[in-house]
Amino acid sequence: MNKIKLGLIGLGSVGKVHLGNCLKMAQAELLAVSDVSKRGLNFAKKMGVKKTFSDYRELLNQKDLDAVIIALPTHLHAACAKEAAEAGKDIFLEKPLARNVSEGREITSSIQKHGVRLMIGYPFRFSPPFQALKARILSGELGEVQIAIATNISAGPFSHRTENSIPRPVPEWWFKKELTGGGVLLDLGSHMINLTRWYLGKVSSVESYLGHRFNLEQEDHAICMLKFEHGQIAIINVGWFSQDWQTKVELFGTVGHAIAAKFEKGYTNEIQYFVHCIKDDLQPMTSGDDALKDLEIITQAYEHQLRSRVATNTYLHRLEE
Amino acid sequence: MSLVSFVRVQKKGHSMKQGILEALELINYVFPREARSILIKPNLCYYWDYSTGQTTDPEFVAALITIIRERISANVDISVAESDASAMKCRHAFRILGYEKMAEKYDVKLVNLSEDKTEKVEVSTNGQHFEFMVPKTILGADLRINVPKIKYMVRTEISCALKNIFGCNSNPNKSRYHSRLDETIVALNKIMKFDLTILDGIIVVGSKPRRLDLVMASEDPVAFDSAAARIAGLNPNSVKHIALASKEGLGSISFVPKGVDFKLFVQSWPKRELRLPGLHLAKSLITKARGSLIKDTV
Repeated sequence: MNKIKLGLIGLGSVGKVHLGNCLKMAQAELLAVSDVSKRGLNFAKKMGVKKTFSDYRELLNQKDLDAVIIALPTHLHAACAKEAAEAGKDIFLEKPLARNVSEGREITSSIQKHGVRLMIGYPFRFSPPFQALKARILSGELGEVQIAIATNISAGPFSHRTENSIPRPVPEWWFKKELTGGGVLLDLGSHMINLTRWYLGKVSSVESYLGHRFNLEQEDHAICMLKFEHGQIAIINVGWFSQDWQTKVELFGTVGHAIAAKFEKGYTNEIQYFVHCIKDDLQPMTSGDDALKDLEIITQAYEHQLRSRVATNTYLHRLEE
Repeated sequence: MSLVSFVRVQKKGHSMKQGILEALELINYVFPREARSILIKPNLCYYWDYSTGQTTDPEFVAALITIIRERISANVDISVAESDASAMKCRHAFRILGYEKMAEKYDVKLVNLSEDKTEKVEVSTNGQHFEFMVPKTILGADLRINVPKIKYMVRTEISCALKNIFGCNSNPNKSRYHSRLDETIVALNKIMKFDLTILDGIIVVGSKPRRLDLVMASEDPVAFDSAAARIAGLNPNSVKHIALASKEGLGSISFVPKGVDFKLFVQSWPKRELRLPGLHLAKSLITKARGSLIKDTV
């Protein structure tokens, strides 16, 4: 079979990661890129992409493209994914699926209607250390896993400090909850919720505690407790507040415990898997329906927070004393 | 010679306010009672929390505001000012770093110097000519107080009092000045002279953040930076912008230390590793290339 022909929509930080990975793939060819930034498009041209567009609709009109990778801000996911489905393209869409469940359902319905494939970018699912945890659960060597603690804490959309580098500007949409749909629980929590669901199964109840150290509209740290249908518990522990970068899943079973703490190769592997699904006519495991379940859980977590009114602003407590 | 005071804020009940007062008393500073508009310039370089040592703590600024109101007048007009930078928007930084809440509580104005009215001012430094649009809030202030941080910087070795005035440049595209940064810093300090510098050295960042519990004060920004350079393990004469500022008459590299022996802070300062010039450049290029994916290697 010929190489799968890909288009990439969006050249933000993750878009650029996909650009580099797509250009290295043997089984696929990145034919076109679209972005609103001329600088981004020039960068893509220099990297060897033949066609560049400032409007993604022009990219979607390209008949020779088999599939598109959408790496746009969250508020643009629904519109772009629906148009891509209508254009008959298979879709790789960056997480989170959408800003909310209603937009998520619009996307999955459109996918179903047009009979295209949708894969959501959950790179931890394709990172070998995190895949090894799943294998250890399946092998029985941990016994029955009772508790999972999933941590993803970093500076989020903000730059980590290094003495030798100039910090990056934060795109304006990150500061507006109406555009992001949520805070760290949606951004980083969606990864960890998806992983723990993969490990432990169906979630039966959700509780959450959200915090606002940095006075943003969205939460910048959160703990979310998931109870699974067979009684297991997961603690999702996420934050945008730290200069440290911790990503870790710990599983505690009746026989043993296991930890995955090194994220590697996830971005490369997930795109290769997407191409493999297209070539072999498979439905991706991180499907739209799968990601919709994550969105439903996150929505429940936000609702729980509103009910319990435990939002905290820890930052200026000293001034208030 | 200029006085520079050093105070350690660590005794139980020894608050930031007491530390600032003590530092000011040691340099015999008296607030001008006739001042009606006062400008405070903290260091907000990015959206980094005060606990990283990168930005001035709003609680420290609040303590200074309380002192100003007590010493001058309860009704004095106080502005806390910063400007947009290549990667930072003031309106977000004020909110994220707690300045909005502080301003509300202490009834002070927050000024984004990049949105301020400006006046064109020309100046020459080290044979180089500069033209800046200077914010009127700064030009019109009766008393200007600089509240910097001490930190290492690749291009200037150290950032403290003199470098913090670089942030008073209303032009958000600060990187355009990087090719002649030392001269730009000195030129801006020549145009915008600050009356007093007070260091928020409670948490500092050298090779890593560390609690130093230090408050410094001086009316001479060059002497102040000279002392800061010594604390950070640098020879101030070899820091180009400090030496140039001294040469251009902005102050004296020599200083008379007052208060706690500043060598105690030199010992506690988180010194950076010895670097080879080539290695430093290579690290810089790698960091730039890998962008945000690289972890802090300092």
